[in-house]
Amino acid sequence: MQELMSYLPEFANALLVTLGVSLAAAFIGLTLGFALNAARIAIPGFALIYSLYVWLIRGTPFLAQLAVIYFGLPVIGLRLEAVEASILSLALYSGAYFAELFRSAWASVPHGQVEAARVHGISRVRVFWHVQAPQAMAFALPLLGNQVILTIKESAVTSIITVPELTMTAGRIVSTTFSYVMPYALLVLSYWLLTSSVAAIARALGQRMTRHLRG
Amino acid sequence: MSTLPLLELRDVGKSYGANRVLRGFNLSVQPGEIVSLIGPSGSGKTTALRCMNFLERYDEGEVWIDGQLLGYSGTGRREADRDSEAKVDEVRNPLSMVFQQFNLWPHMSVRENVMAPLVLGKKMPKAQARTLADQALSRVGLSAKADAYPARLSGGQQQRVGIARALAVKPRLMLLDEPTSALDPELVEEVLQVIRSLADDGMTMVMVTHEMSFAAQISDRVVFMEAGQIVESGAPGPLFNAPKTERLQQFLKPWFNRSLTPRAQVTS
Repeated sequence: MQELMSYLPEFANALLVTLGVSLAAAFIGLTLGFALNAARIAIPGFALIYSLYVWLIRGTPFLAQLAVIYFGLPVIGLRLEAVEASILSLALYSGAYFAELFRSAWASVPHGQVEAARVHGISRVRVFWHVQAPQAMAFALPLLGNQVILTIKESAVTSIITVPELTMTAGRIVSTTFSYVMPYALLVLSYWLLTSSVAAIARALGQRMTRHLRG
Repeated sequence: MSTLPLLELRDVGKSYGANRVLRGFNLSVQPGEIVSLIGPSGSGKTTALRCMNFLERYDEGEVWIDGQLLGYSGTGRREADRDSEAKVDEVRNPLSMVFQQFNLWPHMSVRENVMAPLVLGKKMPKAQARTLADQALSRVGLSAKADAYPARLSGGQQQRVGIARALAVKPRLMLLDEPTSALDPELVEEVLQVIRSLADDGMTMVMVTHEMSFAAQISDRVVFMEAGQIVESGAPGPLFNAPKTERLQQFLKPWFNRSLTPRAQVTS
């Protein structure tokens, strides 16, 4: 028990780092994904850039992307701290997945609804915000929540480049105390706590947004 | 009837690749006229209707709405020749449309559905739009449902909301694409009644329909299509009673066999 108390503060700190890195990355990734989808709809020819980006990001491991950004960018003179590099790569990585979620959410709104709006003089921009977005967001919300959870879990990879987050911290405690069970149990419990909170928030928001669609 | 036609199609055609789904389509609609398009499935009726408001980009001929050419400014008819969306919106502004699948917006209440084209399309103040929306809803007998969401309504009620939405913008011409085809048989009549009352008020309409007796009753002119072309057209009395072409006789046969004699036949 005393041993637990000795590293608990460090653990709590690591939890905040994981939370901070993954939420910052998820927020930027969400924004990026939304922008990519909007640009795909609004700008003719952007669909090609969009597909290339998604193809590239989804076709390579996150670990490799992190390495390129952390070890590769300094070659062109851009040196990032471990935390910054982690947030950036995790944002670029999740952004591709978020973009695909937004794309499928927009595709879920029947095209006839868009036609009905267009023939009654509602501009494309307004169709996007007033007809498609409210329904697409309600559709996307559980999927987005799921992707945020995946982002939190993927942030464990950043321990490789010495970000003092949960996985890295648990490993260090194990190597200094030689006790395995408690630190790793705590590690799993911490992730589970984070992901369950996100799931609960997404569920609550989703129910609010779809109340009237259920008839 | 020598006034300027509200809507005129001249030699309009449409192809999907090598498949020519509409060809040489000519139609002129005067204010107050009601025209029905009939014909077997895949005959191009809906395509013709959708070319009238540029939901389909026609690639031959001309569509004129109230003296303005729709969709193109020059003689080219390729994708690259089309007008800007803003210009298309401006030209087709006098038209509104009722859809087979209603196409209501499920996240908006019934009243918001009817208000949206006014507020979001015509940028009308909300209070004024609300008044017009409530008038239109009362016109289709749905004032009591104004605050409900579409998912709560029956198919027939949803289509009446669709009609109210198309009515509230005060169109000069209404396009109706098989307005009763997605409805259970018992719900068809309530929608037809609303359309009939619009006809009585002098609304100009072009309608694609499979309801032969209804088309016979309300139309000034009926156009029979097959394989992307007009086969026969004319006043409903002669057209239904004495079809000239063998193809139309064949098409109408099941209707007469079911003894659904159009009222026009009885009265004329």
